[in-house]
Amino acid sequence: MVAPGALWLGFWVALPVVATFILSMTDYNVFNAPKFIGLDNYIHVWNDPVFHKATWNTVVYTFWTVPVSMAIAVVIAVALNQKLRAQSWYRAAFFLPQVTATVAIAMVWLWIYNPQQGLLNNALAIVGIPGHAWLESTDTALWAVSLVGVWQGIGMKMLIYIAALQNVDEALYEAASIDGASTVRKFWSITLPMLKPATFFVFVISIIGAFQVFDQVYVLTDGGPANSTTMMTYEVYRSAFQNFKMGLACAQSVFLFAFLLVMTVISRRMTKGDES
Amino acid sequence: MALATATALAATLAACASSDSDSGSSSGDGTVSGEVSLLTPIFEGSTGKELLEGTLLPEFYEMYPDVKVNIDYSSYSKLNTKLTTSVASGLVPDVMLMGVGWIENFAKNGVLADLSSLGLTEEELSATHSSMVVNAGIYDNKVYAVPIMLDARFGVARMDLLEEAGYDHTPTSIEELREMAKALTVRDASGTMTRAGFDLQSNDSRQVFETFLFSGGGDLFNEDITAPAFNSEAGVEALQLMSDLVLVDKVEDVGYSSTDATVNPLINGRAAMGLAHNNLWTQTLEADPEMLDNLEPFLIPGDDPSMFFGGTLATMSSKSKNPEAAQALLEFLTSAGPALAANEQRGNIPALDELLTSDYVTNNRFVQFAMENLDVAKHEGGPAEWLEIRGNFTPAIESALLGQTDAKSALDDLAATSLATMDSN
Repeated sequence: MVAPGALWLGFWVALPVVATFILSMTDYNVFNAPKFIGLDNYIHVWNDPVFHKATWNTVVYTFWTVPVSMAIAVVIAVALNQKLRAQSWYRAAFFLPQVTATVAIAMVWLWIYNPQQGLLNNALAIVGIPGHAWLESTDTALWAVSLVGVWQGIGMKMLIYIAALQNVDEALYEAASIDGASTVRKFWSITLPMLKPATFFVFVISIIGAFQVFDQVYVLTDGGPANSTTMMTYEVYRSAFQNFKMGLACAQSVFLFAFLLVMTVISRRMTKGDES
Repeated sequence: MALATATALAATLAACASSDSDSGSSSGDGTVSGEVSLLTPIFEGSTGKELLEGTLLPEFYEMYPDVKVNIDYSSYSKLNTKLTTSVASGLVPDVMLMGVGWIENFAKNGVLADLSSLGLTEEELSATHSSMVVNAGIYDNKVYAVPIMLDARFGVARMDLLEEAGYDHTPTSIEELREMAKALTVRDASGTMTRAGFDLQSNDSRQVFETFLFSGGGDLFNEDITAPAFNSEAGVEALQLMSDLVLVDKVEDVGYSSTDATVNPLINGRAAMGLAHNNLWTQTLEADPEMLDNLEPFLIPGDDPSMFFGGTLATMSSKSKNPEAAQALLEFLTSAGPALAANEQRGNIPALDELLTSDYVTNNRFVQFAMENLDVAKHEGGPAEWLEIRGNFTPAIESALLGQTDAKSALDDLAATSLATMDSN
């Protein structure tokens, strides 16, 4: 019974992971056979200012998109967990960005951010605020990309929170009502604590997702201007498919993996005490 | 004449074709058979696809009924990724159309078939093509690619707008270019730009820099291609000029235009002058034919007025399983008829000399202008590591244009990185 699963896991997960570790210690340019170079790629990554910039951008993107989208998602989930007319329609509407191809979404946002004909600048012009080249300025490009990430990420988080909310015992709310607790008090003292396992799950998958952001950067900014939106995954792509440095790209991937591992362990530690 | 050239090339390639093909078969009577794959960036989009599959390939199949062509379309921006993955997976297309500056890397690494070994010499190609274009397909004194089309970047002015401002000629010096650009820039009462005096952003920033670099008498690399030369005085002046136009003269705001702009700002009057691709002529012909009379091409003035040119060349895989069929396809695509159709579709400059008297070329002033100035044109590339090096240009140029670093530092850092890349291989 276990064999097919183990085989699948070994072929599609373990093998690529092992291959990545091995290739990360080689000079492999696709054209010629890999040549063992020890830790040179890791030293290069460690000293590479562009990868530092990409790492910083990814961290900023993650620390901006994850909490904001989680906060919005939990509020929407609580709102949509009430008895509302057209509840399913609202849920579908919020979930829609999650099932839409990111490239299509990014194309729409390209138009929204367009300095001349874009929706955002035209809307700002109505209230007398001058427009801005959102994606072409190093001051705003990363935030503009992050906003797309926040917007797109809400749907899945909301869905998980709604599922978790439906498992909260109604008796808790009834008891709180008898004690005279307000709606806000119930939210802070019952809803949020009861959502803790879901929050941990959402937090971990959101961090992993944010660290893997690629397609919206690829379409919206191509990593620019001046590398201000270059993310770790985009740099991996650039090393592998534009610079023909597969070994270096593997070393960068290992760094990314290490980052994710550390973040997951930290978040696990942070919530472990609470769970107990 | 066109047929004669195609026949000559076909004869040269066919006569010298490798005879050790294992799966591709030659019937021995001049016909070939087999399945070949084609990776092409020049027939992208519905119009190009219709031209290739609806018109050109049926002609090819008439000549070679036993050959089947599998087409992989790609944009230029994704071509590099497609080629890398195909090489990594061992499924290199039999015929690949690629850009100027790309040949060196793939030739050095043995991906491309050496067409010289099939009997196609540089001299023969130069007899039918401009030698400058032929040069783009040569690596290590061997022919690896046959040119199909060229595309140039040069200055274009809207003469109606210039005349309104009191100018009856295009800029003759950099100082005059800056003065005119400032005078032609228009902003509304709130300071929002409504017309750029000189548009820099509708073209790839690396190619814009190269055009200014070449016009200032600079080169990308030293003569023996062992070290970068783009951080020379001419290079620093070129990048400084670009950043001055944006940051000091404010003749175009960042984000005012982009390479994704649906309509070139020179067509709709949102720019008075700018750097343009030669296909601006075709774009204008489709969008507003009456505007064509107002567009005047010019070389960016400088110590050595020049222009940038790129192009598309046809190559063959060194490991094609059906080399004869691949050769047949390569010779067909580079022959006069298909090459003219492809150039017409993209608004580009035919590489074959005999096509320069075609109706398409004689009726296209931008193509004519590019051809007249081909002797002073320069192309990018040089070292085998160019594809890797060029990826670092855009961030460096952008950081100077955004005022984050000065032109000299940006280019010196870029040169140091480029030299390290060249030395590491």
